[in-house]
Amino acid sequence: MNIADIINPANLVYEKTKVMNDTPMHYCPGCSHGVVHKLIGEVIDEMNMQDKTIAIAPVGCAVFAYKYLEIDWQQAAHGRAPALATAVKRLLPDRLVFTYQGDGDLAAIGTAETIHACNRGENIAIIFINNGIYGMTGGQMAPTTLKGMKSSTSPNGREVPLAGNPLDITKLLAQLEGVCYATRHAVHTVAAVKKTKRAIRQAFENSMQNKGTSIVEVVSTCSSGWKMTPADSNDWMVDNMFPQYPMGDLKNE
Amino acid sequence: MSKKNQDKEVLLMKGNEAIAHAAIRCGCDGYFGYPITPQSEIMETLMEMAPWETTGMVVLQAESETASINMVYGAAGCGKKAMTSSSSPGVSLMQEGISYLAAAELPCVIVNVMRGGPGLGTIQPSQADYFQTVKGGGHGDYKMITLAPGSVQEMADHTVMAFELAFKYRTPAMILVDGIIGQMMEKVVLPPYQPRWTEDEIIAISPWATLGKPTTRKVNVINSLRMEAHEMEELNNILQGRYREIEKNEVIYEEINCDDAEYLLVAFGISARICQKTVELARAEGLKVGLLRPITLFPFPTEAIKKHAEKVKAIMSVEMNAGQMVEDVRLAVNGKVPVEFYGRMGGIVPSPNEVFEALKTKLLK
Repeated sequence: MNIADIINPANLVYEKTKVMNDTPMHYCPGCSHGVVHKLIGEVIDEMNMQDKTIAIAPVGCAVFAYKYLEIDWQQAAHGRAPALATAVKRLLPDRLVFTYQGDGDLAAIGTAETIHACNRGENIAIIFINNGIYGMTGGQMAPTTLKGMKSSTSPNGREVPLAGNPLDITKLLAQLEGVCYATRHAVHTVAAVKKTKRAIRQAFENSMQNKGTSIVEVVSTCSSGWKMTPADSNDWMVDNMFPQYPMGDLKNE
Repeated sequence: MSKKNQDKEVLLMKGNEAIAHAAIRCGCDGYFGYPITPQSEIMETLMEMAPWETTGMVVLQAESETASINMVYGAAGCGKKAMTSSSSPGVSLMQEGISYLAAAELPCVIVNVMRGGPGLGTIQPSQADYFQTVKGGGHGDYKMITLAPGSVQEMADHTVMAFELAFKYRTPAMILVDGIIGQMMEKVVLPPYQPRWTEDEIIAISPWATLGKPTTRKVNVINSLRMEAHEMEELNNILQGRYREIEKNEVIYEEINCDDAEYLLVAFGISARICQKTVELARAEGLKVGLLRPITLFPFPTEAIKKHAEKVKAIMSVEMNAGQMVEDVRLAVNGKVPVEFYGRMGGIVPSPNEVFEALKTKLLK
């Protein structure tokens, strides 16, 4: 076989999406961000929307998302992404507009912006990376941190009388009429990755069909914040995060 | 304000209403705001006029001032003419957004119809947000082009000018006005209609805008984060250079009876209207008093005041606060002549006679 045979399109079974560039990612080994970025890039590519997408980046580890996906980005203040997305979509209704946010961004400081964008039924997609911890700032407790889970601001484990219960924000949002699609997935197995990609595709399609707000929660690992190996993080996530944040659709209209 | 009158050239309306009319007429793409007294008429008028049916302008009541300023950021990032308005406590909530807008070099217009503070304060008018606006209520080294209307006409004119300056320098512009001018009714000639920019025009005017990346260019990223210190310093150098340009080119002020003045009053907004009467009272008693009214608060008319300091015996700044602009007057005067201050706080408006008595007490020593 010569090189021409090897790279014959008929033999090509996989190719990195052109929407994702070759910039080395700053994310930790085993981090879910890398996989989700790739899936988003693939979906944008398959929908042929690279030149019609405007994405809003959060504050958190994914503050640098704009370095990795070749689309126009706006970097928002912490928690404010849904407000930016609201204005962008209202002024440019034919673009694909989505936010990409972590648990602190979406469910702590940004709670009001999240709820009200969803309540208004903005035609946007919200990609919510929930790893129950604040990775970028060094592993502090998040609203979604589990009971008893250790973090740098809950060194003895999250205590309910002090910090309240873990917040299931997606369940809250699913109750709003403005939300057409609320779903929860993960990217720790091949099967899970495929489901997440389908969910992202559906969320993006919903927004282009003006059905309202879609939220795709990706329950994720943070091996740095959790102080585990990536492999152990996946197992810990299945055993502890999934019971609190079960997989599947909470709403699909 | 009924719709059938809007074809007439001269109208009678509140300052707040004039801002709404002017915004629609200058091709504003989006208004995002939250109600607060004494400026809710701005959004109410916009909603009543329903410009989404005529020009396609988006008018959206947000859930807070925090959300409003971030909606402005999103719109501005797309090269659109976006604005918001609020009053003092709400503008406090916008400070984070303003710092981000300045750092991301985003043009936009923010209106502060000032009320008494601090805290929840009062709905009566004040001028106590001068420091917040001109010295930076948000974090970091930045400035906002700041216009200070003194009449309903200027409320309309400054809306147009604020957008022009914001886009000329890629920076947020603030219209800083006291509650009285927002609420008072005066005659106004509204600006002519300008169509909203087409997408091609936006691309030409603002090639950095996020509209979706075509194959013909690299990605556009609206961002204020610079991880490397030298990159952050570089951004700051660019911003500072821009502010020096603004200081050189955009100073606007008005002089009343200043040619032979021996005493100078410095005041903006409604305080200047009051001081105009004080100048009349003084002149009637043979006192040669003049008034310098800054119309741009940033850039401050430093040179003009400096020149007056060469000729007058004393200067008094008159403000509805505890003494804010007076500090910039003192900097300009640089010790050449005495600079005094007279002010009322808590939403109280001084009378021309009161200011005249203060002038005699403080300046005629």
